[in-house]
Amino acid sequence: MSESSENVSNEGLGEELAGDGALRTRSLWRDAIGRLLRNRLSIIGLIITLFLLISALLGPYIAPYSYTEQDLLNVAKMPSPDHWLGTDEIGRDLFSRVLWGARTATLVAIFTTVISVIIGVIIGAIAGYGGALADNITGRIIDIVMSVPGLLLAALIAVSIKEPVVTWAENIYDVSGFPLFADTTWLDLLVVFGGLAFVSWPGYARLIRGQIFSLREEQYIEAAKSVGVSELKIAVRHLLPNALGPVIVTLTFSFSSAMVLESSLSYLGIGVQPPQASWGNMIASNIGSWSYRPWLVAVPALTLAIVTLGINFLGDGLNDALNPRSKRSI
Amino acid sequence: MFFYTLKRLAVAVPTFIAVLLITFTLTVLSPFDPVAMMMTQFEGTLDTLAKEEVIERIRDQYGLNDSYWVQFTRWIGRLMQGDLGISINGQRNVLRMIVKTFPISFQMGLAGAVVTTLLGIPLGCLAALKQNTWLDYTIVGGTLGFRTVPVFVLAPLLLVLFVLVLDIMRVPRGWDGLFQTKVILPVFILALGPLPVVVRQTRAAVLEVFSMDYVRTAKMKGLHMWRIILRHILRNALIPVVTTLGFIAEGLIVGSIFLDSIFAIPGFGGVAEAGFRGFDYPVIMGVTMVSAVMIILTNLIVDLVYPFLDPRIKIE
Repeated sequence: MSESSENVSNEGLGEELAGDGALRTRSLWRDAIGRLLRNRLSIIGLIITLFLLISALLGPYIAPYSYTEQDLLNVAKMPSPDHWLGTDEIGRDLFSRVLWGARTATLVAIFTTVISVIIGVIIGAIAGYGGALADNITGRIIDIVMSVPGLLLAALIAVSIKEPVVTWAENIYDVSGFPLFADTTWLDLLVVFGGLAFVSWPGYARLIRGQIFSLREEQYIEAAKSVGVSELKIAVRHLLPNALGPVIVTLTFSFSSAMVLESSLSYLGIGVQPPQASWGNMIASNIGSWSYRPWLVAVPALTLAIVTLGINFLGDGLNDALNPRSKRSI
Repeated sequence: MFFYTLKRLAVAVPTFIAVLLITFTLTVLSPFDPVAMMMTQFEGTLDTLAKEEVIERIRDQYGLNDSYWVQFTRWIGRLMQGDLGISINGQRNVLRMIVKTFPISFQMGLAGAVVTTLLGIPLGCLAALKQNTWLDYTIVGGTLGFRTVPVFVLAPLLLVLFVLVLDIMRVPRGWDGLFQTKVILPVFILALGPLPVVVRQTRAAVLEVFSMDYVRTAKMKGLHMWRIILRHILRNALIPVVTTLGFIAEGLIVGSIFLDSIFAIPGFGGVAEAGFRGFDYPVIMGVTMVSAVMIILTNLIVDLVYPFLDPRIKIE
């Protein structure tokens, strides 16, 4: 009870004192962080996510070996003091490759999420503000994209745009001689980003549209409108902060699903190509030998499973913390 | 009802045409050039100038120089006649490949859907009835966790666990019909994918029904709990669960892409996987379209069946 009355009084102050807005926001966030840290599963998720980000950032420096370095005397060996998680079928250190894989997965997840959020917010805003016709058209487009399984569509796109993208990069290299375009490894990533972003934006567009429609009915928006605040200012000052909670939750979940999609594409041989390390292609190249070299499959598979579980737990905790009213009712 | 069906069809058909359009456009963009494929057999017999002329003539003959829309309509026409093209690797009829493997995957998928519902509905009910207890958290948290853990991670881990560590089964491989013990593990893995959606939907629906007046009345009458659950809660709560069928279908299709090769099941998913691995364009297109048809059809069936299950939905 005391919490809600505090909020109300703060809201009243915010109307009068323009500078008070920041203070109110902070207390709201602190409240959410408190709720997040009270949830044991989300703390586990937070730790796992931090571990992932640290290994993605510092992986190459922590890793005892390079991701291509072969130890030909120790091929497909069990874990040992020299190679903490053993070596793979051609003698590369598995621990190092898992760390490099973390970098690949995080990179893809971050870029895909950023690209799809940008597209999603734009389309969602068009649907929310552009009137009934725009809403109908964008709704149809979203339905169409969603009627093909995400993985299949992403794979189809990745396969189709790969060659044109490579040709394009080669042409640029021929013309400009820019060394960046001589190397095609990052083009794999670019192709994967494209495919994944194309299948993940509809979720955001729907979310943003829904938020715009539901928040527009709120009394404080109506109040702001009646005092003559402009649409843009309402969107920035009122809609955005209030829609942020659900968006952050969706971000977390789609971060993990982007990672899974990347590994799936790499598993199918469309995404990140060997010798680049991706958990997906590591699983793929060893799945045939699971019965006699189980650790080669188990290590990347367990890593991927633990990481996605961790991020999902974090997302669930964030959902409870940021949207307390919709507690566990998705 | 007639107009309602028509209306749903009016939504489903353009969606499918748009999917065709996307697939076709992507193929136009793609590296796959059927004429270059054909020309490889004349390698060395023609000099460069003649070769270009031959290629140009073949392109004309097959209408590859026509405009995008002409090609598109012609392609649709061929699709109508059931012609999905010939695979690049092995020169096989794509439609026949799919038709041959589809029944196996359909049985697997059906079994997976049954297992998902049989597991998901009781788990969802249990979670709802024990709301906010450790049991609820375990069920929701546990299944939520599996929401994104993919089949190609789960399958090898479970294989290692069951075959190597616990040593309770032999390596399940191949396909001898649905009612074989070696189908248990793959079907179970297949069923885990869409399980969280079913659990969550059931849980939410049961929670909603739980606070209804008629449930309170039944409780006050002193009815047994299980009777209330079966007669009053489940009957009404299961209606929204039907809407998850689309998700289930998608989960099963995507799952089988990875599952088939791991368990050496000659199914639809295996065809898809081989297609992707070999950059086999006609196969990839065929598989994508068949999957899209399956999902659109499932959603259409859900839309059509729903008003019968829930008379509150008005048919207009």
